[in-house]
Amino acid sequence: MDAAFVNPYLVAVQNVFTTMLGIQIAMGKPELKHDKLTSGEVTGVMGFAGDKKGMFSFSLTKESTLQVYKSMVGEEAQTVTPEVIDCIGELTNIISGQARVQIEKLGYKLSAALPTVIVGEKVEISFITKVPVVVLPFTFQVNGTAGKFYLDFSFE
Amino acid sequence: MKTLVVDDFATMRKIVKNVLRQIDITNVVEAENGKQAIEILKADPGFELIVSDWIMPEMTGIEFLKACKEDEAIRTIPFVMVTAEAQKDSVLEAIKAGVDNYIVKPFTPDNLQKAIEKAKTKAGR
Repeated sequence: MDAAFVNPYLVAVQNVFTTMLGIQIAMGKPELKHDKLTSGEVTGVMGFAGDKKGMFSFSLTKESTLQVYKSMVGEEAQTVTPEVIDCIGELTNIISGQARVQIEKLGYKLSAALPTVIVGEKVEISFITKVPVVVLPFTFQVNGTAGKFYLDFSFE
Repeated sequence: MKTLVVDDFATMRKIVKNVLRQIDITNVVEAENGKQAIEILKADPGFELIVSDWIMPEMTGIEFLKACKEDEAIRTIPFVMVTAEAQKDSVLEAIKAGVDNYIVKPFTPDNLQKAIEKAKTKAGR
């Protein structure tokens, strides 16, 4: 796993959160994934192919999902509704698009499919890959309330 | 300005509508995909702007764009592609298909307003 691929995702997610949501984020220490479970409770997943192939997921706690939904759409949701799921799917798509632009600068062209959203805590998810899966943990604050999410990705 | 917003994600259509409202574009009709959008445009010739996503089922944004540019009654309506597809090849493909402007998600209201102004100029409106 080439550490150079961490930066595209960092740049992508910072750009998306700052521009679209008005939220500043902070990245924690990258780790290797040691289980085959979703990191949060609402998880957007996208595969990609081309010069590299792999998967990436954008996984949030339920509370963070609702905070992000409110920031993006301007409406409150009390539960994870189909509209909230739509929102996470779209954010996954946008983060993927931005990351692929950054990865293109490294010399790799990638194409992506449609996002899938998984709702549930610790749902089994297998990245079909021979290389380690990297987990990037993030935190943020919205109106004094802390939030967190994870980007998991693998490339081969 | 009567505007058609095309995106398969209802939430994204809502977000685009909210952003359009911030730049005083409030007369907005929605479509879920290119096929539905073409039917709406053919039934109502009064649209002055199209804002469309790219990756959609039934008819993609590029297929929809090409269909618009091949139709005499619709081809001069300014067409802005709003998409997560930000790589150079994607932008070139849209330009070759005749897009009037292209804006990458994430975008601000200011970005979208500038993109619409440029699209209108390019389309001769």
